[in-house]
Amino acid sequence: MAAISYSRKNPDYPVVYSSFGAMHTRVELLAVGLSEEQGRALMTEAEQEVKRLERLFNCHDSRSPLAVVNATAAGQSVKVEDELFMALELCEVFRRATGGYFDVTAVDENAESRGENRGGYALDGKEHKVRLLREGEMIDLGGFAKGYAAESVRQIFEREGVKQAVINFGNSSIVAMGHHPYGEWWPIGVKHRKVRSAVAREVRLKDSAMSMSGQAENGEYHIVNPMTGDCAMGEELILVEGRSALVAEVLSTALYAAPRNMRKTIMAQYEGYVASEIYCRADGSTECREIVR
Amino acid sequence: MNRKEFLADCGKKGLAGVALSMFPWLESCSDKAQQEVKGEKARIGMIGTGSRGLYHIKNLLRMPNVEMVALCDDYRPHLEDAAQYFPKAKLYDDYRKLLEDKNVDGVIVTTPLYLHGRMTMDALRAGKRVFCEKSMAFTLDEALEVYNCRKELNGVLFIGQQRLFDPKYAKAMQMVHEGKIGKVVGIRNYWYRNNDWRREVPSPELERRINWRLYSEYSRGLMTELACHHLQNGSWAMGMLPEKVMGSGSLLHWNKDGRDVYDAVSAIFTYPNGVNMTFESIISNKHFGMGEQILGTEGTIDLVTCMHYTDEPAPKGSGMHQLVAQIESGVMSNSVFAGTSWAAETSALAPGMPIMDNVTISTGESTVGAEADGSIEIMEAFVHAVITGKQPAKVLEESYYATQFALLADRAMHEGAILTLDDKYKIPYEPLR
Ligand SMILES: NC(=O)c1ccc[n+]([C@@H]2O[C@H](COP(=O)([O-])OP(=O)(O)OC[C@H]3O[C@@H](n4cnc5c(N)ncnc54)[C@H](O)[C@@H]3O)[C@@H](O)[C@H]2O)c1
Repeated sequence: MAAISYSRKNPDYPVVYSSFGAMHTRVELLAVGLSEEQGRALMTEAEQEVKRLERLFNCHDSRSPLAVVNATAAGQSVKVEDELFMALELCEVFRRATGGYFDVTAVDENAESRGENRGGYALDGKEHKVRLLREGEMIDLGGFAKGYAAESVRQIFEREGVKQAVINFGNSSIVAMGHHPYGEWWPIGVKHRKVRSAVAREVRLKDSAMSMSGQAENGEYHIVNPMTGDCAMGEELILVEGRSALVAEVLSTALYAAPRNMRKTIMAQYEGYVASEIYCRADGSTECREIVR
Repeated sequence: MNRKEFLADCGKKGLAGVALSMFPWLESCSDKAQQEVKGEKARIGMIGTGSRGLYHIKNLLRMPNVEMVALCDDYRPHLEDAAQYFPKAKLYDDYRKLLEDKNVDGVIVTTPLYLHGRMTMDALRAGKRVFCEKSMAFTLDEALEVYNCRKELNGVLFIGQQRLFDPKYAKAMQMVHEGKIGKVVGIRNYWYRNNDWRREVPSPELERRINWRLYSEYSRGLMTELACHHLQNGSWAMGMLPEKVMGSGSLLHWNKDGRDVYDAVSAIFTYPNGVNMTFESIISNKHFGMGEQILGTEGTIDLVTCMHYTDEPAPKGSGMHQLVAQIESGVMSNSVFAGTSWAAETSALAPGMPIMDNVTISTGESTVGAEADGSIEIMEAFVHAVITGKQPAKVLEESYYATQFALLADRAMHEGAILTLDDKYKIPYEPLR
């Protein structure tokens, strides 16, 4: 259960804040300008929604609909519920629109078919059925779920009339609604895991989202390059800013997985999105280079 | 790995990040201390060149300050195994002869438990500086005797409780002392394996000598062999000693080969503030492996996996908290928190943070010794002490009590009683912090 706190210290801008663990990370939500009752109810609803999506998309939980697909859909079509089907459709669209570099079947578990141009499943749009193309194939929506859930929370907030809010999934997928009450944007500093003290870049979010990919905080590399089947091990971080948290998340993943010379080509298809590579130099300073479309 | 690499590595592993002032006994591992003894030699003799002895030998080989001058074992094959590494070392089959050897400054005792006390005291009386494997002694009285003997002679004595020298543990304990997990409310230790704990015996008459661990004539079983490593966690974390001890043990599964020590034990140690520390070991199921966990009102530290979990998912001071604080006080400034995903690796239930980078995690399966568990550091510190003659502060006391409480719990199991440590066994104790 979430820890929800409500503060009226600033009577002009009361803040409700909630944090909870989900999707293998920490989710933090902040919304401004609500009554306590409304704020707490909203946070509870948002958490329930995130947990629902976690159950739907978690391939590591054998009871999840996705795990059922992984276990039974090799060589035969299996009917899946609408939302999961739509998610798989979206993933397929993103795969094509990133030159194959965003691929939810490019996971370590599928190492046997490494290096093939992937796309591990086929969809039947009429029947809402999915079929895995290879025996033992596995779909992992880990690189999709956080962005999707962040978007879903944004929609709930919007529906409830929230004007100013920050939705933060594990510090790597962040959505901002409106702007900071005392500024024209939400100022979000980016840190490189190697230089904790310095700010690598200040992102100004206003009705927009950002996503970051790269070596995880704990030093692990976990994004697989679908073309080689190996983990991408770039030292740089990828930062993507744009309207949708989901697109930003998909893009940052694909760009990190892709070789540097492919990145421009991928970005060419995404108007309204800005991507940068953040490098940490030997002297501990950082450098942020935009991937020019 | 040579010393320089080792120390550099030590730094990477985190000794550098551990405030040495908080852990004075680790000082001898520091660059400065190692510089002090540069070019000097510690002339070392080892008594008991069995499996743990050989493990230490392999580490000692890489330490430039070490000269192995003597080896002793009364079982020839083991003595010969060790002799290969040091062709110039003198070989003995009687440890008293080794103790008479004037070329030996420091003695490492790696024999079965029932011999630890006697050999340690004989070595101290012969003027040697001593490292003895855990547990310190075979009985409560003997442990006290050894402690007093060292004190009277003002000698150097280390007991092989290597966690005290493991950077991961030092760092984790530092976090506990700094209040990172709030008030300590529980300590859980367990060690599970699934094997018969036997060594291969070349011929039947050697059974009791080789498998000494399994017989109460030589060993107190799981409590002295495994628990003593864990029992310092409570006192290290809380700075106090248990008040009450209870437990239950049984010969549950491996009970057909004539052994007479328990193969399943559970013990509870209650501290004066009411906190319980548990230790459980079963050697017929290994699913949960080894665990050492400090439970606090605000979080948990898992010493084995070197992870920190908070009970409140977002610790105060997170970037989002900063935003809240800004709004509360009517200002805007940059709050820095975006980065790559904050991932929970070991548990789907609670996201945790690694305490240190690049740690080697022990499963507790090896009966010889784990990797990167402080065993090298403690031996380095001992070698340093052989040269300088300085006994490090506090660690002997911690080892002493680990042994006393392991023995007391074993007694509680046999008597089916709740026991307290008799006052006569109390020695001056200063918390490790
Ligand atoms: N700190 C740790 O992590 C750790 C790990 C493993 C073992 N140990 C400890 O090391 C000690 C030895 O364990 P081990 O597994 O090496 O046992 P082992 O049986 O392999 O070795 C003991 C050796 O002592 C010799 N020995 C016995 N009696 C002797 C005597 N009177 N004189 C000379 N030599 C004699 C034996 O022949 C044998 O070679 C035990 O106290 C054990 O608890 C500690």
